[in-house]
Amino acid sequence: MNLHPLLGEGYLLAILPELILCGGGMLLILFDAFAPRAKGALGPLALIVFLAAAWSENVFRDAAYFFGGTYEISPITKLFDLTFLLAGMLAILFARDYLDREDIEGGEFYALLAWGTVGMMMMAKGLDLLLIILGLEILSICIFVLVGYHRQLSIANEASLKYFLMGAFATGFILYGAALFYGATQSTNIAAMGRWFATNEATPLLTVAFVLMMSGFGFKLALAPFHPWAPDVYQGAPTPVAGWLSVAPKAATLIALVRLFNAMEPMLPRVNWMNMVAALAILSMIVGNAVAIVQRDLKRMLAYSGIAHVGYMTIAMLTVRDDSVAAISVYAITYAFMNIGAFGVVSLLMKNQNDPQTLDDIAGLGFRRKFYGFALALCMFSLSGLPPTAGFISKFYIFKTAIESGHTTVALIGILTSIVSVYYYLRVVYYLYMKEPAEGYAVTPVGGVFAAGALMIAMAGILAIGIYPTPLFNAAGYAARVLLQQ
Amino acid sequence: MPILSLFLWLPIAGAILLAFIPKTATGAIKGFGLFVSLATFIVSLGILRGWEDGVAGFQFVESLDWIPQWGIRYALGVDGISLWLVLLTTFLTPIIFLSAWNSIHKHPKEYVIAFLVMETAMIGAFLATDLLLFYIFFELMLLPMYLVIGVWGGANRIYAAIKFFLFTIAGSLLMLLGIIYLVFQNYHQGGAPTFEITQLYGTQLTAGAQLLLFFAFTLAFAIKVPLFPLHTWLPDAHVEAPTGGSIILAGVMLKMGTYGFLRFVLPFFPEASARWSKLLITLAVIGIVYGALVAWVQPDMKKLVAYSSVSHLGFCVLGIFAMTQTAIEGSILQMVNHGLSTGALFLLVGVVYERRHTRLLADYGGIGRTMPVYTVFFVIAVLSSVGLPGLNGFVGEFLILAGTFQTHPVAAVIAASGVILAAIYLLWLVQRVFFGPITNEENRHIPDMAWNEVAAMIPLVVFMVWIGVHPNTFLKKMEPSVKHLMTAVKGGNGDSGLRVARNNAVILSRADGEGPPASGAVGSFQQEVLRRATPAQDDKRAGGAR
Repeated sequence: MNLHPLLGEGYLLAILPELILCGGGMLLILFDAFAPRAKGALGPLALIVFLAAAWSENVFRDAAYFFGGTYEISPITKLFDLTFLLAGMLAILFARDYLDREDIEGGEFYALLAWGTVGMMMMAKGLDLLLIILGLEILSICIFVLVGYHRQLSIANEASLKYFLMGAFATGFILYGAALFYGATQSTNIAAMGRWFATNEATPLLTVAFVLMMSGFGFKLALAPFHPWAPDVYQGAPTPVAGWLSVAPKAATLIALVRLFNAMEPMLPRVNWMNMVAALAILSMIVGNAVAIVQRDLKRMLAYSGIAHVGYMTIAMLTVRDDSVAAISVYAITYAFMNIGAFGVVSLLMKNQNDPQTLDDIAGLGFRRKFYGFALALCMFSLSGLPPTAGFISKFYIFKTAIESGHTTVALIGILTSIVSVYYYLRVVYYLYMKEPAEGYAVTPVGGVFAAGALMIAMAGILAIGIYPTPLFNAAGYAARVLLQQ
Repeated sequence: MPILSLFLWLPIAGAILLAFIPKTATGAIKGFGLFVSLATFIVSLGILRGWEDGVAGFQFVESLDWIPQWGIRYALGVDGISLWLVLLTTFLTPIIFLSAWNSIHKHPKEYVIAFLVMETAMIGAFLATDLLLFYIFFELMLLPMYLVIGVWGGANRIYAAIKFFLFTIAGSLLMLLGIIYLVFQNYHQGGAPTFEITQLYGTQLTAGAQLLLFFAFTLAFAIKVPLFPLHTWLPDAHVEAPTGGSIILAGVMLKMGTYGFLRFVLPFFPEASARWSKLLITLAVIGIVYGALVAWVQPDMKKLVAYSSVSHLGFCVLGIFAMTQTAIEGSILQMVNHGLSTGALFLLVGVVYERRHTRLLADYGGIGRTMPVYTVFFVIAVLSSVGLPGLNGFVGEFLILAGTFQTHPVAAVIAASGVILAAIYLLWLVQRVFFGPITNEENRHIPDMAWNEVAAMIPLVVFMVWIGVHPNTFLKKMEPSVKHLMTAVKGGNGDSGLRVARNNAVILSRADGEGPPASGAVGSFQQEVLRRATPAQDDKRAGGAR
């Protein structure tokens, strides 16, 4: 049944993952309303919804465009969809135990995660600036609520308000930039913009538009100097949400930026916009890694480390080629495993959530609770980029593409700042294995089968990508080539 | 049968199995660790059985696709340069488990697992013939060592562990950048991306690029050796590390640096190496004398041995950058020697520390009377380290000095003073600890060495004597590879040499078929010219070695 010629053949199948997540989210809320005593089933149900969405990625096999050429289904969108779903599932698994312990379990939590994922999928698939912004807004609204989900905590309310006020500003910047782009290129369609960029000269107006847009996206990515919200928000948000927030929205923003940069490709040699992006990357790596050193709060430390990691990923965007897009995809997936894993272990620390989770809370954990200790240590090794973990392989990929594209200086700065980062990641390992907990002070991690399962998945992912990355490289390389052929 | 893979993965497989043994069964844990490491050693001896003398290239080659997109292969091989280092690794690990049998009370299971993981990483680094594979093993050994120092170390262990880690990682990450750049250059010239060492040997580099890469690689390996003035992490790490950690650190891990010079720096960057060899030789000589002088005044036995390591490793670097056949062979032999004798010294210092919980020289004196067996072993180890003819240390140092004298006589003369200084500080150590009256009452009743400590020492002593008396067993097997290396390095001053090095296979077949290439046939006049144009080479086996 074809309602309108613009929709495209089989559009319902193509957006099946989005439909499943939307419908599943509503069902979860209804389930909570009608069966308030069966809250324990919410987490597994949400998991089933996400798994169904992941399965439905396979239903539509070909690359195609829908809705008047504004919505793309291709290998790269599937890869990113799966990354979002993976991040969502890991977050659900950790949240199940966390919400249960804090006694704030509710259907809307999982529904918001599902809808946020829909927003990210739209960002990854949208070929129109407006669609990307629409996706971003859907995502942002879900994030505002999720960050403040632990209503009784003052710290959570603060974080939510902060993110809301600043996020609204950032969206304003993006919209304004998009409007200026529209004014200059007469289109918000990325392909049409690309054609315009190929034939026209750069104007100062375009530079203003680019700066505005990069500021907005820089905020969403937590790139320095647009980063100061990140530590506060991560600290206040429910820890599983913080883990999810540090990975999935960034991946969605990056893939949207890749499309935009790709369209600008013909213009780039004539303007120095990429120097600006390089400056953001360099600043992020330096600020993130330097400030993380002095953090004792684990979530704040991970926030600053996240700023640095986005800096690494941004290096690969300086020249959009198939290798660099593949590097970003691989890094996003790796980052999902290691960062959500790290936040996950932190989320298990049972204590008043208004207080910061500091390094002292994990003192001696490596020998007290071997499994959690080892999982956190592995995530730290991976985050610091040591072989044989996925973190090494993906960081290597980033630096390799950077050198091959001629960005040796940026890569050198990246390497130097990684040396710094080793210090604070290793400090976590030091607390895990070499520090005895203070007398009478022991925070025990409490986690059930769900959290353990999530950690197993994270560790398996870290080691599998670290030891045998070939299948992932094949998939990412193919997807990137298809993306850039258009 | 892929024998290299077999004994490469055996320790880590053992470590994984070990994770399932309950931690209370300490006897079973230690026994299992010893069993796995002994099995690894026995399997690794298989290389000697199938070894073909006179082959310069890699033997027992294994090569599988790993990350084909980047041209990274799981490629292993062993040649005359790595052979003895591999065997040294598999040989020392069981000795560590034996010596630590009764001294590790804290988390014995994790201790054994850490050492088994470390063993795989070290063997892998020596065996890898793919640059990235080497790098991965090179980094992998840091983690267990960090934990070994940090968990089982002394009072100031955290500082030492972090210092050790940061120093090493700083060097190796810069080397990683160099690796990527080198591979990228080779890719541009050769077509297919590859990380295989033999394929990369002939990469053409501009002088500037070669210089930068030379320093990126050299820095990483110089930190690892450690070369003066990058040595400051070593005494800290050694003093704080548990005995087993010190033995592995001194015995094998430091050799990663010298091995890296031989395997990567010299053949990858022959011109830069030749041009900057004076700098490295100067640093090595400073290290030799400085290490010896500092060792002289140490009040702490372990620190004394640690600084003596700085001095002895200086000899190895000196031999490598002297770039003569004799010196390089001596250098490789000296790496093994140092592993044996310094490993033994650390083990022995650990023995008394275990009993008295002090390592200060001043706390001992006259224990030769209470611990006769211990004294015998200690004196043998000291004499081997000093370089007494008939024991291993002499052969290595003699070859290095004889080989160096031909190209850098001044450096050789100054370095020779290091031998004398070594005799002074080590014999003085023996005198203060073992002879004279018993000054400290507590020393009157120290129990002598236990069965496991004796069992750990005996194999070490056997090899000290073997290398000292008949070094040809060892030199014979490394000779073709070293000769081949020399050919590649010598060619570095003209572009013809680079082309020769690119056709690696050609040289390989010549070296193993028709005997020594070029050098032996060159007339004396040409030899003189060669010597002026390049750091001279010399393939007369030094007679005094036997």
